[in-house]
Amino acid sequence: MEPLINWIYQTPVSTTIRDVSWIIPVVQSIHIAAIAALIGSALVTELRLAGVVATDESVQTVARRFVPWLWGALAVLAATGLIMATGEPDRVLGNWVFWLKMALILAAAVLTYLFRRPLLRDEETRSRSGLHVKALAWVSLLIWIGVIFCGRWIAYAL
Amino acid sequence: MSSKLLQSLYDSKLADQIREGATLFPWIESLHVLAITIVVGTIAIVDLRLIGYPSHRRGAKRLMRDMLPFTWVLFGLAIVTGSLMFISNAPSYWADTQFKLKLITIVFAGLNMGLFHATSYRRIVDWDEALRPPLIVRVAGATSLILWIATIFLGRWVGFTLAPVQ
Repeated sequence: MEPLINWIYQTPVSTTIRDVSWIIPVVQSIHIAAIAALIGSALVTELRLAGVVATDESVQTVARRFVPWLWGALAVLAATGLIMATGEPDRVLGNWVFWLKMALILAAAVLTYLFRRPLLRDEETRSRSGLHVKALAWVSLLIWIGVIFCGRWIAYAL
Repeated sequence: MSSKLLQSLYDSKLADQIREGATLFPWIESLHVLAITIVVGTIAIVDLRLIGYPSHRRGAKRLMRDMLPFTWVLFGLAIVTGSLMFISNAPSYWADTQFKLKLITIVFAGLNMGLFHATSYRRIVDWDEALRPPLIVRVAGATSLILWIATIFLGRWVGFTLAPVQ
């Protein structure tokens, strides 16, 4: 990892991200605003599946409104995250909390892809409900919360 | 705020524990980030509906009832965690321009909400189902969204401008 970090650190693009003083604060702010969009979307979708919120609306209606936003927010997060990792590879790529965060994001994204995306089509999911759906919804939400915590802890762990 | 008050907050036992505890500050900060992202995420869903972007249900009033309990509870957590961070380094926060601007955007977001509730919200039966609400409602939604996004930017900015603990 060390040679890779050093190589990225020395590239002009990495140097520019560090040297232009507003880039990192602005990119981090966009990152947090996108987390708000993601966690808002995940909260409503998962709590609907858990039977807590908007139970009079169908799961499909809720998923159709929020799952695309969740993917959109994730794309913005990946782009802004990439800029941060390029600018400060020493703080990010050698950091175990960062890799834990990536693993949790992968888990949450796989859960969303396998179990939430099919909700965008009606016919498949009518039959699926019950305890394991509710449990999975809470697990999903907890993973996203874990991702947020890891994000902040990258700044403290090395 | 007087410098004496700021200093006494700084000197309090609780503030000392937050400063000295190895992991207390990051935990408080993480909870703060979780709280503000849920606050802004849930408010944005309502704001977008007020602007005219449809949500998971048509009625604006019921949408607010779905979302705003989360907003308020997490706003409470954001205030508590924010206050804890503030006392840990009160004189520096109070000297920080971005921090004071952030307080102002939060106050204006509150005034905007208060104004909305005192006016358009009273006539919500007239526009509850309208996917293009009256202009004043759309302006209230857009204003709220802009102020909360500004609050996020200013909050992150504080992390770069704040003078470290003496």
